[in-house]
Amino acid sequence: MQLRYVFTELRQGLRRNLSMHVAVALTLLVSLTLAGVGLLLREQAQLTEEVWGDELQITFYMCNGANDRNPQCAGAVDDSQKEVITNALEDNRYVDKIEPESQEQAYKRLQALDVEGVSGPDPVVKAGDMWESYWVTMTDPHHSAEIIEAVAGLDGIDHVGDVHEVTGPILAAVDGLQSAALVGAIVLIVAALLLVANTIRLAAFARRREIGIMRLVGASTLYIALPFLLESLVVALVGIGLSGVALAAVMHFGVEQRLSSTAVTQWVGWEEFFSSFAIVALLGILLTLVPTLLLTRKYIKV
Amino acid sequence: MIRFEKVSKAYPGQARPALNSLSIDIQKGEFVFLVGQSGSGKSTALKLMLREQRPSSGRVYVAGKEINRLAGWKVPRLRRQVGTIFQDFRLLTNKTVAENVAFAMQVTGHSNREIRERVPETLELVGLDGKGDRMPDELSGGEQQRVAVARAFINRPMILIADEPTGNLDPGNTVGIMRLLDRINRSGTTIVMATHDVQMVDQMRKRVIELEHGHLVRDQVQGGYGAQF
Repeated sequence: MQLRYVFTELRQGLRRNLSMHVAVALTLLVSLTLAGVGLLLREQAQLTEEVWGDELQITFYMCNGANDRNPQCAGAVDDSQKEVITNALEDNRYVDKIEPESQEQAYKRLQALDVEGVSGPDPVVKAGDMWESYWVTMTDPHHSAEIIEAVAGLDGIDHVGDVHEVTGPILAAVDGLQSAALVGAIVLIVAALLLVANTIRLAAFARRREIGIMRLVGASTLYIALPFLLESLVVALVGIGLSGVALAAVMHFGVEQRLSSTAVTQWVGWEEFFSSFAIVALLGILLTLVPTLLLTRKYIKV
Repeated sequence: MIRFEKVSKAYPGQARPALNSLSIDIQKGEFVFLVGQSGSGKSTALKLMLREQRPSSGRVYVAGKEINRLAGWKVPRLRRQVGTIFQDFRLLTNKTVAENVAFAMQVTGHSNREIRERVPETLELVGLDGKGDRMPDELSGGEQQRVAVARAFINRPMILIADEPTGNLDPGNTVGIMRLLDRINRSGTTIVMATHDVQMVDQMRKRVIELEHGHLVRDQVQGGYGAQF
């Protein structure tokens, strides 16, 4: 096979359809970057869920008869009520571990935080003001609602502390951003596919005389299609390279320089970047080579 | 070398078939004129020989292969054994004469050494010695057709199919091209030529196959354009 001819054709083709190739590369840049951001957000959502899900517990605070929030509380919780609550928790399949905390233990923990008014000779808050509680670790953090539903209404329960109520909207926002990025990526991927198809059509039209002669003198389909495939591959690699730079910029300037200083959660790192970029690169190559293969078969049919 | 067995070809949307139960047999080394009015089925017959089309019924054999049964990936190999020339030359205007001729070898995988050897030889054969560096638009119509012949013949095909190759040429150039084709034919290449050129067919006295509305109406050894020969 005359590779020199193939590369000459490739160079000429790239030059002849330069504006279309630039359009395809830029569309690929935006669509692949959006797809990459979507994948990174998915990784971030998973990381956050893992970190928060493992650490977060539901806390059932029991009536102390001093400063109860629940009007149903009729004095401090008694042993029979505690037994009912413990049984309800132990019977729940989503409960992994139950750690009881007495009023004294809660008070010590508060003192350890060195809050004003807790320590000293005449503290404002005393151990009796604290709530005795059960700290519940879940088998699956997604099912906190089921546990709360089963226990919150029992006699002796004052109030429930569930940090999932706070983290839920944050995770939902991350999910929303991820979906928006992926929808945007899909729209642009369709645009990229149409652009690739149009470019192939124009390239085949520009070369129709050469293609006609090649068919008549007996050039193989692969040989005729090769310059088209290489042209698409070059454009795909440019688009993928640019999106890699854009994603790396998002990682460096966005995650590393801005977000990593806030220790709210564990942030995506370069490992997640490379796994997301590998998918993006594969997607970019498929996006350009598959339509090229299908369309060249159509336009240069032997 | 080429055999049609009761070949019919109908195009969608056309009431009458382009070819109707056509049977012809062309031997190796023959020079055959295919004549008939426009729409008689000449071009369809040539397209079937090149496997540009497939027959609706019947069998077409070219160089020992039945084209209807030929797998798609084998078609290029068949076409390397069949050279083609057209009325409109079909040269690449951005390539020199030598590059146009070399193109047929490049795209069929010949080495540069082979190309360097064979292109000047073939240009000399067609009478274009020393004009390899010219661009096609610097040549006369007759010379451009010689370039097309050189390109069709450079891979030394067994069959040369010519579709009205002298249709755009003046009488002087027509004679030159016909002499060239005759010379190629005498080297053993089978030539099938569709034409409307009455005078040239009458002078050459080769086998004539005449088609009318897709039917074979005459197959005459050493015939002329009209039936009076």
